[in-house]
Amino acid sequence: MAWRFEGGRPVAAAVLGGAAAVALAWSVAAALVAGFDAREWSQLAAQPQLVPALWLSLITGVCAFGLALAGTAVILAASHHSAGWLRLLRRLPAMLALPHAAFAIGFLLLMAPSGWLVRVGVALLSPFNQWLGMAMDSPPSWQSAQDPWGLGLIAVLTCKEIPFLLWAAVAQLGRADLARKLKMELQVAQSLGYSPRSAWWRVVWPQLLPRLQAPLLAVWVYSMTVVDVALLVGPTTPAPMAVLVWQWLQDPDPERNAMGAAGAWLLTATVGVLALLLPALQGLWRRWAQEKWTRGVAPVHWGVMRTTRSPTPVLPWLLSWIYAAVALALLMGSVMGAWLFPDLWPQGWTIQAWQAVVQSADVVWATLALGASSSVAALLWCVVWLEYAPPLWQQRLQGLWYLPLLLPTVLWTLGLHQATLAWGIDGTATGVWLAHSLCVLPYVLLTLQGPYGDFDPRLRFVSASLGRSQAAYLWYVKWPLLRAPLASATAVGFAVSVAQYVPTLYVGAGRFATVNTEAVALAAGGQRSLMAAFAVLVWTLPAWVFGLAAVAGRARRFRPRQTLQ
Amino acid sequence: MANNPSPHLLAIELHRLRTPAGVLIADLSLNVPGGAVHTVMGPSGSGKSSLLAAVCGTLDAGLNFDGTVVLNGTRIDALPTHQRKVGLLLQDDLLFAHMTVLENLLFAVPSGPQAARRARALQALSEVELQAFADADPATLSGGQRARVALARALLAEPLALMLDEPFSKLDEPLRQRMRELVFGAVAARGIAAILVSHDRADVADVQRLTVLN
Repeated sequence: MAWRFEGGRPVAAAVLGGAAAVALAWSVAAALVAGFDAREWSQLAAQPQLVPALWLSLITGVCAFGLALAGTAVILAASHHSAGWLRLLRRLPAMLALPHAAFAIGFLLLMAPSGWLVRVGVALLSPFNQWLGMAMDSPPSWQSAQDPWGLGLIAVLTCKEIPFLLWAAVAQLGRADLARKLKMELQVAQSLGYSPRSAWWRVVWPQLLPRLQAPLLAVWVYSMTVVDVALLVGPTTPAPMAVLVWQWLQDPDPERNAMGAAGAWLLTATVGVLALLLPALQGLWRRWAQEKWTRGVAPVHWGVMRTTRSPTPVLPWLLSWIYAAVALALLMGSVMGAWLFPDLWPQGWTIQAWQAVVQSADVVWATLALGASSSVAALLWCVVWLEYAPPLWQQRLQGLWYLPLLLPTVLWTLGLHQATLAWGIDGTATGVWLAHSLCVLPYVLLTLQGPYGDFDPRLRFVSASLGRSQAAYLWYVKWPLLRAPLASATAVGFAVSVAQYVPTLYVGAGRFATVNTEAVALAAGGQRSLMAAFAVLVWTLPAWVFGLAAVAGRARRFRPRQTLQ
Repeated sequence: MANNPSPHLLAIELHRLRTPAGVLIADLSLNVPGGAVHTVMGPSGSGKSSLLAAVCGTLDAGLNFDGTVVLNGTRIDALPTHQRKVGLLLQDDLLFAHMTVLENLLFAVPSGPQAARRARALQALSEVELQAFADADPATLSGGQRARVALARALLAEPLALMLDEPFSKLDEPLRQRMRELVFGAVAARGIAAILVSHDRADVADVQRLTVLN
């Protein structure tokens, strides 16, 4: 097909692309300069916490990554091409809408020694107290939330990353060309005598896994380098490497800041080197699985296969319940009054926390303003870029736009902070807006790229052949037809902005607070209800925007035909 | 803009149509008077669609058109697509899914008082016997009905030339015959110069106006 519309406005794309490229490249270069001083590296090497912190990051990162990948595979195997698939698709947005920090706070409320889960356990065991010879009237002394092994951190990251990987997999499996091909191949495999699940592991999974490279890389980087979630549920002595770096970067002592910069680079190098091993690990898995299959042995343990065969697959069900429990804990936590242990329910309910939130309305407004302005800016940028940048530019510069997603937040924010210092906008609203916009950009681009790429270009030719200009085509045809992805991209951008912790505090020099930074800050104190109330806002503000996006992106309802007759 | 002395409404002088792989079409001259349908046939990849794209100004960036296209005495090959007055009907009807049937037609009549635009669009719909479907969702129409709406929409823009890229190929035979009559009738009645790309011999309106590309 030779149809293509000549034209476009590459100048607009060059201006916007150039501006973003300068900001990103400057940030990376500034981080590079900040991190390469021999003295700060020797200071870093002399830090006694360095090795344990790095080791802890490795353990928690690898475990969370591995468990999230395995969980995603098992859930997909259980649900894909089954009655549970639509159920899973329906639940995914709700799970994705719960941000990491809010989930971690809900998890904290559930899992803490005086948390709901322990109280439920005590209530369930109470009939047997006499028989057991014990009665629990005070919270246990174990560290169930900020445990020294990082189990809580691993659990939170695993639960949060599974829906993200599922979403990425659903996007791939929903592509018409791939879906058709896989369906036919599954039918062929079943006709050769393989059960549906066995055929899935042999046919779909090996083809799906390489397509998940980018989201897997994002999960890997995030799991190794997350700060806010680690501050909430991660170990403290030692803290994971990213938290340690963050503490050094915030220190008033410039020498410790410099050590933080070196630490950020060390973390990045560790993450990068291990990320390079991912394709090799995939290759090993493929060869190993191939060898097993040729010998007629299932590479996945038959117990896992059986789990995925059960009519109500355990893992999707468990994940849904965990999310429901976390959400309930957040809501309940925000209105709980005094709550003596081991009572299952608080002695009373109070809206004091919400009254305090109303008094801090400026924080909510700041969150809304930052979220709206940065997501709209990123949306406009992405639309201009996708609309007008020549395909070669889009292909060549794609990696640059994803830097904020792929680089550890501490490193990327360090560079951006240096850049804003150089431009004289550090500690200003403009600086924080820029930081948020650049963080939001890759997510919005990721959300829009598919729908833009799949959009039928012939509609443009038809529109032009009807005598209508490019502007009329965009305004009346293309953008209305793309309103659902445009609306959801804005909502995704808003949610990403609300979740920004390190960039808000670091580039804003601590002068700007959002609901997320407030919730994380409150976790260190004793105001549990207020912390839960802010966490509810971290969760519900993006949820509201997602709701609005769903309404705005709803397909048009035409009048029923009967009325026309 | 150079004036062309050709008596034909649409005159194409194609020296070379090149792809990165080589020359697709060379030394082709096509002259189409108003009201006539010139058919272009040939195997897949012979450049039929590219020829239409060159006339419309929607040629792929990898393709290079060396030649002239003159419509009604005006050279149009350097003009943007929306200024060429060249209509387009493709294999798929490509109705805008978010607009009603009437709104699809109104899109082709951008200027003038609302009532007059609406009257023109309704008139065009009645010409293809679909006035009862003005407020319908295009997705609820049959293939034949959608093809008729697409034709009505293309004609409403008052094109001087019409590029028809296998517009009947997806229709059943009885519907195909009806659409042929409708399209050829409209072309003749309005004095439009049309080029039809087809694989079907039955689409050839006039054997004197047939080009076969190799």
